[in-house]
Amino acid sequence: MRIIGPLFMGLSAFFLSLPIIVVSAAALNGGRTMFFPPKDPSLARFVEFFVSESVWRTALWHSMIVAFGSAGLAVLLAWPIAYWLWSTGSKLSKTVAALGSMPFALPPIVFGVGLGFFWAFLGGLGTIWAGIVSQAALFLALPLVTISIGLQSIDRAHLDAAATMGATEKVTFRTIILPQTLPYTASGFFFALVLSFNEFIVMFFVSASSYSTVTLQIFNSLRNGYTPTMAVAAITFITVSLLVFSAVARWGDLPRLMGADQSRT
Amino acid sequence: MTAALDLDTPATAPAPKKPVWPWALTGLILFLCVVPFILVLAISFGHKIEGAGWEWSFTLANYKRFFVGAMWPEDVTFLYLQQLYWSLRYAIVASILAVVTALPFTYLMTRLPRRAQARWLVFLLASLSLSEVFIVMGWDILLSNNSGLPKLFQITGLTDWLKAVGWFDTLRDWGLASPRNVKFKTSELATVLCMSYLVWPYAVILLYPALSRLDPSLSEAARTMGAGPWTVARTVVLPSVRLPLIGATLLLFVFLLGTYVSVTVFADPAKHTTAIAIYEAVRGANLDAPFGAAQAVILLLTAALFLWLGQKLTTKREGKA
Repeated sequence: MRIIGPLFMGLSAFFLSLPIIVVSAAALNGGRTMFFPPKDPSLARFVEFFVSESVWRTALWHSMIVAFGSAGLAVLLAWPIAYWLWSTGSKLSKTVAALGSMPFALPPIVFGVGLGFFWAFLGGLGTIWAGIVSQAALFLALPLVTISIGLQSIDRAHLDAAATMGATEKVTFRTIILPQTLPYTASGFFFALVLSFNEFIVMFFVSASSYSTVTLQIFNSLRNGYTPTMAVAAITFITVSLLVFSAVARWGDLPRLMGADQSRT
Repeated sequence: MTAALDLDTPATAPAPKKPVWPWALTGLILFLCVVPFILVLAISFGHKIEGAGWEWSFTLANYKRFFVGAMWPEDVTFLYLQQLYWSLRYAIVASILAVVTALPFTYLMTRLPRRAQARWLVFLLASLSLSEVFIVMGWDILLSNNSGLPKLFQITGLTDWLKAVGWFDTLRDWGLASPRNVKFKTSELATVLCMSYLVWPYAVILLYPALSRLDPSLSEAARTMGAGPWTVARTVVLPSVRLPLIGATLLLFVFLLGTYVSVTVFADPAKHTTAIAIYEAVRGANLDAPFGAAQAVILLLTAALFLWLGQKLTTKREGKA
């Protein structure tokens, strides 16, 4: 068992890395054909992706606007819901939290189709702000969960102490609740940011071919075959994700955010 | 604590005003997260106008078309039911495969020190965040007929060995080999493998809370009483995570019902799913939004039915326990 355990974990990690390694290595191809292992290794495709080819630069810009905008909006929407749920625990707040998490829990394709109709009626189909709002609604569940965990971790004794010393609700919120939940809020923001950066289905329906994010651009380019430039996008994405989650792990308690018992180390 | 404050409060103080924001928030969430689903339901009863768009209506024709075809009763076709069958088949197999393999991994991970757990979680979350499009691209290169695994099979002599022992013919019978070499595209195996890969990190993350809260002293007690590792897994670990296990499988199953890119790339066109048909109807060449919406509603109802059955199963088992 002592050998089988680490062996199994190693094999799982290998399996999980396999397509990532292949895609990443393919970005190094010197030519425009996707070979694995790469032929004539060079960094020319990186220059293409970030500098010379405007299609990819624009797509990256769109991805960033949508990801940052929607993650920010998701946090802004999630905060009052989580606070309401935590402070009252009322039936209505529970229902609203459940409804807010619904798009993430149900098949994304159904929500994507619905959003397509929704924006067509509102006249926003194909606009970038429709993309931002749609992604925020889809990923609302993530900051909702992390902020709720943060609020639950506040020691009620601190709140009682503040109340005894005459602090108003506003002061308590500013000096106790907000600072203690900040790492959880940031984590929620980053979870939404990274997933929104990579999201495909909902963007496919709401962008209505008016603009492309990187993921959409890759999907559109798939019809003409793979190019190593696409692989650069994959490397960019995985690097961003690794950096973001490493930061969350460095400055926050990642195992606790993922649901591990706080008392155990 | 409140006695002193109560003394300061005048007896005739007006009742505190109920804030408006909870209602505004409820309205906003209903508008953003629920209205799109209601629209899908409403449009599923709509009517397509030939050569143009569609109009509001209340017809069950789209649903009838899904179950028996548009020409019924003159002609019957079960094409859409067949697509739903493939959606269910892929999603069930892939979600079970993911959960069964993620369970031992997650268990082993939760036994590691907290710092090591954090490192594994960073790795898992990073791979989870990678879009379906990238994952499919990676597997497509790995499984394509001219490179990746088929090439590796050929270079290492594995293909010749398979031919020599006679297993190659079996693979051909299963549709996993061409006359010359192994072939993974298009196949059910490649589709399920890619779908399972897609949700594997989710499976770990869903099982993680339950397994990390499992009291290690229980397993240790069983071990000191002479139980082997497999007996401990069967009698201690598995029964205590049965509910999260069923819950995780159901959630992944529901998520996989809507998979699009993996199925388009890896599945045989005859074995395409409802998700593909929805795309075709709403954004593809067919442009029949009401029929696409009806298919989406059926997919949603199927998901709901399975979730309900899962809940029934777990509450029944809980009752027995």
